[in-house]
Amino acid sequence: MTRTHFSILTLLALSVVALAAFAEQKTPETAAVATATVGQTAPDFTLIDANGKSHSLSSFKGKFVVLEWVNFDCPFVRKHYNSGNMPRLQKEMMEKGVVWLGICSSASGKQGYFEGKELTERLKSEGFSANAYLIDNDGKVGRMYGAKTTPHMYIISPEGTLIYAGAIDDKPTTKLDDVKGASNYVVAALQAAMGGKEIATKSTVSYGCSVKY
Amino acid sequence: MRRPLFVYISIFLTVFSTIAFANPVRVGQVEVALLSETEQITAGKPFGSAIHFKIDDGWHLYWKNPGDAGAPPSIEWQLPDGFTAGEIQWPYPHRIDLPPLTDFGYDKELTLLVEITPPSNLPVSRNVELRATIDWLVCKEICIPGETEVRLELPTGSSNLSASNSANHAFFASAREKLPIENEDWEIQALMTENELLLSIGKPNWVEGKLQSVLFFPEERGIIVNPARQIFQASGERQTLRIPRDKNVHLTPERLKGILVAEPGWRGPGSERALKINIPIDYTGIAVVAKGEISGIWMALLFAFLGGMILNLMPCVLPVLSLKVLGIVSQAEQGRRKSLWHGSIFAAGVIASFLVLAGILLILQAGGNSLGWGFQLQSPAFVFVLASFLFLFALNLMGLFEIGPVSFGRKAGVSHHTSVQSFLNGVTATVVATPCTAPFMGSALGYSLSQPPLAALLIFAFLGAGMAFPYIVLSAFPQLLRFLPKPGRWMVILKHFMGFLLLGTVVWLASVLNLQAGGSAVVILLLVFLILALAAWIKGQWGSIPLTGTRTFLAATAFVFLITFGVTIGLYALDKFAETEITRAGTAPGGLVWENYSAERLAQLRNEGRPVLIDFTAAWCLSCQVNKRVALENDDVVKRLAELNLALMRADWTRRDDNITYALAQYGRNSVPLYVLYTGKDSLPQFLPEILTPQVVLDALAQIEDRSII
Repeated sequence: MTRTHFSILTLLALSVVALAAFAEQKTPETAAVATATVGQTAPDFTLIDANGKSHSLSSFKGKFVVLEWVNFDCPFVRKHYNSGNMPRLQKEMMEKGVVWLGICSSASGKQGYFEGKELTERLKSEGFSANAYLIDNDGKVGRMYGAKTTPHMYIISPEGTLIYAGAIDDKPTTKLDDVKGASNYVVAALQAAMGGKEIATKSTVSYGCSVKY
Repeated sequence: MRRPLFVYISIFLTVFSTIAFANPVRVGQVEVALLSETEQITAGKPFGSAIHFKIDDGWHLYWKNPGDAGAPPSIEWQLPDGFTAGEIQWPYPHRIDLPPLTDFGYDKELTLLVEITPPSNLPVSRNVELRATIDWLVCKEICIPGETEVRLELPTGSSNLSASNSANHAFFASAREKLPIENEDWEIQALMTENELLLSIGKPNWVEGKLQSVLFFPEERGIIVNPARQIFQASGERQTLRIPRDKNVHLTPERLKGILVAEPGWRGPGSERALKINIPIDYTGIAVVAKGEISGIWMALLFAFLGGMILNLMPCVLPVLSLKVLGIVSQAEQGRRKSLWHGSIFAAGVIASFLVLAGILLILQAGGNSLGWGFQLQSPAFVFVLASFLFLFALNLMGLFEIGPVSFGRKAGVSHHTSVQSFLNGVTATVVATPCTAPFMGSALGYSLSQPPLAALLIFAFLGAGMAFPYIVLSAFPQLLRFLPKPGRWMVILKHFMGFLLLGTVVWLASVLNLQAGGSAVVILLLVFLILALAAWIKGQWGSIPLTGTRTFLAATAFVFLITFGVTIGLYALDKFAETEITRAGTAPGGLVWENYSAERLAQLRNEGRPVLIDFTAAWCLSCQVNKRVALENDDVVKRLAELNLALMRADWTRRDDNITYALAQYGRNSVPLYVLYTGKDSLPQFLPEILTPQVVLDALAQIEDRSII
């Protein structure tokens, strides 16, 4: 009994102190969200695909994974689908054992968001040939990876490390003709990584339309 | 979801409607026109041309750096032989926020100016056709690319007849107002640090007034975080713009190109808003980072442990911990097991509170706050409560009141610790210890910053373990205390004396409060002390008499009420009357001038190759004050500092200051004291020890002379 009062007093004082210290702190303006960083472990995620099937990044351990942020109505994306560039790349890389995931972070109702039958039809008409078209309509995965544009490309190594992030190629235009002369960063990075070589360009500034979060 | 069809139609229209050659041409959401500043073309004489876009409401076009997404318009000229077109002159853009992204561009209209130079052998009296293919991307929620050709026919004339097109004159004049100006008089420096781009802006004498706001638009993509708020701070003559760095791409360009857009204008109110910059980037801020003295986690843990042990000897902890020794003396009597038990509980209290403090620190830091060790002492409210608590504690030690009824059958005045109290003693010791940084500790805490949270917490735990270690040893081997007399009356006297030591700490906290919140805050504190003393007296008079339940209860109630009342009223008054702007005079002995720390000024001094000494200090940091008096203000040191013409900077961290927290972090630290010495140009910073003596400083300064001889 003798000392408990004093203990209570001490606790009281300390809690007031802690409160005061907290009250002093302003609420952070923009809490820094941890985003994917090249050279570090790619954050895991689970998303539902166009057929309602669930896919987790972690389940593809042991394989190279390409993430392609997609919005079929964006002119920059159009360039790569109208020219057949993107479907061709998807097929080519999947034949080499690469897992290719398209991700759409358009919010429900916003431009680029499709669901159900419409989506299935669209995927067919676009010649979309990747392993899955993942729906990220709350933008959680997009924000986690810092996806800014469509297209925005990411490559993850079999060990789960993010090894490339950025643009698909070095021609930031909407012109179909520019697909030919462009040097493709994703192809170069995948070739280097698969050949056990150092990737020359590990990150670039992506180009395209803004992701419609 | 009928949108795709609409989009297809839009794309179809844009691509196939580009064959129209009229001037202006409407394509989708924009109307494009080619204009000339002159009515006729004169051989060899450059003239202005403009591509003008009228943009439908809600849609926008992009600047040459479109920001996070989008693409800028482009012009491809098809000019007659001998004509050349200059670069596009871009008007300044504005930010287009599409959270979480930000683009740079224009809405409503956009004028791109291009200077065209005709050949010098141009025949007179002939019509010349200017042609250009324009393409662009216009966006609202969706983006639509467009392309068209614009044409303009102009007659050629002799030079003396060349008149400007009066109708277009006003149009071109207003378009030119939006172009960034080049002005060498503004002194602008760029410093790139680990996380930020710092732009320091120095005003020329002839400009009246101050800039109200400044926004930077980089020409290159991937340098800054586009959506981030750019913080514009004015400090004295120079103003600083702080912009978070884009660390995803990690570009390190040699020069910084872009424009600064300011209110109210770069040549005074109402003048041009945009200023072009193309300046070298100083990366010295980064060279320093990560050059801590610690190479691995094991070393950090060892340093933390040693630092924690030494922390016991620091002036802030000493008075509180002497009490613990007293406790051990009394427990020693009760046998070794009991004494070891209390020692361990005390250690647990210390480690737990270190972890809690570190946890709060990490959480707040993750939330974007720039805080460091001792952060809670930067809060006047914390200092206030801590001072009140220690004051009451001192009165208790001095015997003005006892907590609870006096127990008979015990030796009066000898504390019989409960486990809870041992634990709380540990908590108190930690709270009181935070203003101090011991040798080894600074680098260990600094290292913890660069580590994942778990490792950081482990380092803090070791710090606590180090601090508690001597007491564990003492409790485990009470025979070490053999040389002390048996418990008895001397302990009561010592206890009273400790009360005075504690009052010394209270005086120091009051002086800190004076610096943080001004004199009226100290008066408020003294008034609260009065209430607390009254509470203690009531408790001492009527609360400690045994076997009179009601009176004891009333006294205890009054005691708790008065304390709560006093502290609450005090905190309220403090909030109301505290002065927010306290200026501290920078006078120093020997005529030395300590200027306030600023990153820009440091970069400038380092570029000049002048040696610099920076004193990171705080009023609540006792070792800082001791070092200052003993070493930095020592006559020999002062003389030497003056002889060497050292630039002296003081970074005062008494109050929360993000700039200083940030500067500390650059040196791999988050605690004061820190003494940084740059011996000359291109030299890496050297750290002086946490405990300074005149000789230590003189030895460090000796290197400067050595360098100057070479």
